[in-house]
Amino acid sequence: MGLATVEMRRAKLRFGLLTIAVALLVFLILLLTTLSSALISSLVGALKGLDTQGLVYSTSSQDNIAASRLAPETVAAVAAVPGVAAASGIGTFTTSASISGVEGDLQAFGFTPDAPGAPTALSAGRLPANEAEVAVDGDAAIGDVVVIGSQSLEIVGLLRGAQFNALPTAYMTLPAYERAVTEINPGLPFVPVNAVAFTVAEGASLAEVAGAVSTSVVDVKAYSLDEAVASIPGIDSISQSFGILVGLTFIIGIVVIGFFFLILTVQKMRTFTLLRAIGSSSGGLARAVTLQIVVVVVLASAVALLLTLGALQGINTGIPVSIDPVTVTGTIAAVLIFSLLAGLLSIRRIVRIDPSAAVGSR
Amino acid sequence: MNEDPVVQATGAVPDGTGPSPAADALSHAGALLQVRDVRKVYGEGHTEVVAVSDATMAVDEGEFVALLGPSGSGKTTLISIIGGLLSATSGTVRIGDVEVTGMSRRDLTRFRAERVGFVFQSANLVPFLTARENLLYVAGLVKTPRAAAKSRADQLLEELGLIGRAGNLPEQLSGGERQRVAIGRALMNDPDLVLVDEPTAALDTAMGRQVVELLRREIKARGKTGIMVTHDLRMVEYTDRVFEILDGELTHVEEPSTLGH
Repeated sequence: MGLATVEMRRAKLRFGLLTIAVALLVFLILLLTTLSSALISSLVGALKGLDTQGLVYSTSSQDNIAASRLAPETVAAVAAVPGVAAASGIGTFTTSASISGVEGDLQAFGFTPDAPGAPTALSAGRLPANEAEVAVDGDAAIGDVVVIGSQSLEIVGLLRGAQFNALPTAYMTLPAYERAVTEINPGLPFVPVNAVAFTVAEGASLAEVAGAVSTSVVDVKAYSLDEAVASIPGIDSISQSFGILVGLTFIIGIVVIGFFFLILTVQKMRTFTLLRAIGSSSGGLARAVTLQIVVVVVLASAVALLLTLGALQGINTGIPVSIDPVTVTGTIAAVLIFSLLAGLLSIRRIVRIDPSAAVGSR
Repeated sequence: MNEDPVVQATGAVPDGTGPSPAADALSHAGALLQVRDVRKVYGEGHTEVVAVSDATMAVDEGEFVALLGPSGSGKTTLISIIGGLLSATSGTVRIGDVEVTGMSRRDLTRFRAERVGFVFQSANLVPFLTARENLLYVAGLVKTPRAAAKSRADQLLEELGLIGRAGNLPEQLSGGERQRVAIGRALMNDPDLVLVDEPTAALDTAMGRQVVELLRREIKARGKTGIMVTHDLRMVEYTDRVFEILDGELTHVEEPSTLGH
């Protein structure tokens, strides 16, 4: 006879309310985690998702791809550095455009298909193969049209987690990108690229090759992709702020869950004392409490997941938000593990029970 | 009611003609329960409190004895030590061939489940288990096969007049019914010793008498050894002998019929 399960079956209201309370806490943690990760992804997702090992910016860019300007010849100069396997230019700028008939701001990226710097976060369709096609991370469907200036580009692919500056982001071939830039800035002597994406030869060290690029090509600085992402202005502060917010919510949630079970245990001290007196082991009672924590947290997590899915359907944040199975699984596992650790407060009380207190107790 | 007295009155005692506890114990070396020079001291120095002072007693198999004393006399401490719930500062407690005072905490837990049945004052049952489940739970502690445990539980509940209430939770039972379930639970694992702590404390006199009478009948029918802690003189008539404890000292052993006269 499982003491823990029998009790939960008999005290449905108490455990039901406890499950709902824990579910709300887990829901809050899941929602914050998902929204913060979506926001950060919408700020840096484009860079993170580039198919490249390193990026080269102009030295005057202050580590910011949007501020970097490189002459097209720089691509060849980077490609010529020993250890560089391939190099390709990337252009990006913010403009006004119509996506699927809706006017708004758009972050445009120009890349060369099948070369370093192509996007990777394709969720449907394919990447553009010619100047008349585009792939989009935004509110659009395959077959719709993106209109930039006089160009109408057909959407042939959809991306997820590939936005930049929290704007809808369109990926087009470099010639289409250059045409869009020229239309807006007709006086430009040439269309600069913002960065050069490069990969290193097999066996070469990325750090060493990046160092070689920085020293042998004039006025450039090379970064690994991770360095480039981490260098995006403000991203550190944003990540840290969200980290603190999510972390504090998590800690408060876990402490509250721990207290819930401690209160439940304290309420049952007379019963636990009786059970210890008649021959139940501390370990057996601790296992019963542990099982109850696991059951409540797992049920609560399931409810919280449904609530999160519902909330994400119902709220419009302006950025693409989706449930990341890895994040959700990790969050729920962390909640479970730390809830069990918080449950040690209850188990400590059980282990310290003096069974002789059952005698003479009224 | 003094069916099976172990000790005959042999010596002068402070307030009557009973044998001294020490004489009682020493004259029954083969008794099921042997308590020798058990002492329990709380605190030390100026704060030292002697809860039980060199208590010695012996109870034979099949006896049902009372441990009588006022509140704070040390009877709860003594019965806790006998039942393996509390460790003694010094002295020994033997139940059959087992020396309880030498056991580890883990062994004591198993010992209580296997060889001692407890009936407490109140809060005596697990509130979220039915009457039958309260009995089955203790059977589970000693790994009794499910079918055998269920059969024994139903047999006990039948004998205790509770078979119709087997599926009821404690909150659905009267005080007397709850104590009867507790008696069933105490007997469930066929223990050597049944320890009963103020079983009538939460009951009216009539119900209290019924419960103690039933307790005696069940203990005697099974040849068990029972010790009932009580401060209620009216209940000792159901016991074979009475140990009186005052200020931590076992001061008197008397046949129940002579008490109150």
